[in-house]
Amino acid sequence: MRSPAQIALSVGVVALGVLVTGVTATLPSEGGYAGIGPNFIPAVVAAGIIVLGLWLCYEAFTGGWRQMGEQTEVFQASPFIWVSVGLLAHMVLIGPSGFVIAGTVLFACVARGFGSRRIARDVAIGLVLSLGVFLFFVKLLNVNLPAGWLAPVLGGAGI
Amino acid sequence: MEALSALMAGFAVALKPINLMWGFIGVTLGTFVGVLPGVGPALTVAMLLPLTVKLDPTGALIMFAGIYYGAMFGGSTTTILLNTPGESASIATALEGNRMAKAGRAGPALATSAIGSFVAGTIATLLLTLLAPIVVDLALRFGPAEYFALMVFAFITVAAVLGSSTVRGLTSLFLGLLLGLVGIDSQTGQARFAFGVPELLDGVDVVVLAVGLFAVGEALYVAAYQSRLSASIEKMKGSLLMSASDWKRSWPAWLRATAIGFPFGTIPAGGSEIPTFLSYATERKLTKHPEEFGRGAIEGVAGPEAANNAAATGVLVPLLTLGIPTSATAAILLGAFQNYGIQPGPLLFQTQTELVWGLIASLYVGNIILLILNLPLIGIWVKVLQIPKDLLYAGILVFATLGAYSLHQSWVDLATLYIFGLLGFAMRRWDIPVGPAVIGLILGPLAETQFRRALSISQGDPSVFVTQPISATFLAITLLLLVVPFVVRYTGRSRRKAA
Repeated sequence: MRSPAQIALSVGVVALGVLVTGVTATLPSEGGYAGIGPNFIPAVVAAGIIVLGLWLCYEAFTGGWRQMGEQTEVFQASPFIWVSVGLLAHMVLIGPSGFVIAGTVLFACVARGFGSRRIARDVAIGLVLSLGVFLFFVKLLNVNLPAGWLAPVLGGAGI
Repeated sequence: MEALSALMAGFAVALKPINLMWGFIGVTLGTFVGVLPGVGPALTVAMLLPLTVKLDPTGALIMFAGIYYGAMFGGSTTTILLNTPGESASIATALEGNRMAKAGRAGPALATSAIGSFVAGTIATLLLTLLAPIVVDLALRFGPAEYFALMVFAFITVAAVLGSSTVRGLTSLFLGLLLGLVGIDSQTGQARFAFGVPELLDGVDVVVLAVGLFAVGEALYVAAYQSRLSASIEKMKGSLLMSASDWKRSWPAWLRATAIGFPFGTIPAGGSEIPTFLSYATERKLTKHPEEFGRGAIEGVAGPEAANNAAATGVLVPLLTLGIPTSATAAILLGAFQNYGIQPGPLLFQTQTELVWGLIASLYVGNIILLILNLPLIGIWVKVLQIPKDLLYAGILVFATLGAYSLHQSWVDLATLYIFGLLGFAMRRWDIPVGPAVIGLILGPLAETQFRRALSISQGDPSVFVTQPISATFLAITLLLLVVPFVVRYTGRSRRKAA
């Protein structure tokens, strides 16, 4: 039974190996007393990745990867997308809006992805958690976290 | 006896109120996060690593050892009450522990697991105390060639021999090795695989990789495949007290499991997975109550849980004395040392005596605190288990992103985190182990340094690796480990054909 995903992943590993080989070719090879330079181990790693990719291809084309665990559940796109949206929104928001708002948005999106329909509750819990973490890290551990839009409320905390 | 006086000095460090406090915070945090389903020790340590940036090394590492231990203790609670083992080392416990809980004997199951973990952890720490100076003496004679051979040996056992598939384990390892190459070459200052991105010049941080693979990857996987499933939590019924017969059946199992677990931890055998299963099999064979196995036999909980903790301590032997991590969690702990510019290894015992013996002494203290935390206070942890899945994963991701972001205050780390999350999702879905990648990232650059150093000393003569006896032996064993399974399979197949 051929799995398109396994074939794609196997070919992807080979392609990665080829890409690494290409980058390795641009690295200098002079290495002083050792006789090998900064390009030697990358070349070994590139060769290893290509060999392993070909091995995966061989398995994928001859009956599929060996010793695979059983996968019975079906892929659910919408939870996957909600979690992804949360993470990407957090990445975009954390600079301008600050840690607390970005964390709240992330929390609500992930909770939604895991099937929660109580948005108000999720936002409230996310806000309390993010605010608590922010104050703990900034006030007690002196770790810098951005205050963003809430800077006037949070006072001098953060950056 | 030298070890004894060093250990006494270590206790003086570990019992300082400030270090005692860090140890206490560590084991409490470790237990708390370890109880959360789906969060194993590796992720617990990785997520909490950024907490330590502003702490002094001794306090921070004592806290980390506590987190490592605490996550082990906490994980068993989850396994017994929830039957969703957070990590492979708990599968054996799940077999009997969850059955005991279903039969209303959750109390004794939790008790034998906590007391067994304490007994095994304490004996194993004692063995660590005695063994470490001996290994250090040996390791001081190692040159770069020996270290390199030892690291290759560790790579191959962790990636190729353990796990379900040699090729997928090795693929994961090589991905880690590749990520380890990113950044400035320590020997020549040459930038490699950085593509002009300043954030990449520092290299890939182990926190981002481990949290991406374990937390983000796991969250994406559970969301996509299991968000509709709900696990049932067993009630904490019955008393925590073990009956006389429980004690009688538990203590030999604890001791046997320690004898199995500790040696397995010290060799690069992937941590505690094999010893827990071996211990389970041993107890099953030796029991006087074979009819109870599969229906909740107390030996089947006592043994694997003790083996798990003994192995976890055993892992610290190669980590502290040689600087070689043999499990994903140990690799992340090594990352914690590196954050302070400290390289574990034989020299650590000479230059940082206070730190290393303080750390070892803190393990004794931590075990006692954990016993108290996990028995009388078990009710608190049962409450933690009841956090619903949606809030649990939302919370995990808030902490996961916090850890990655606080490294450089840069969104680039968050983008990398998400990419590693997608990678972790794919690896989980297609059964590619993630541990070897984490070990490759941490150990790869160290192996490259030793390799090039060895060649520098030999003036470029590669025979140095096979002419020195220790190095040659390790490389020969490594080759055997790789080749023998194939030979066995091939001859087995041709024999079957012939028959």
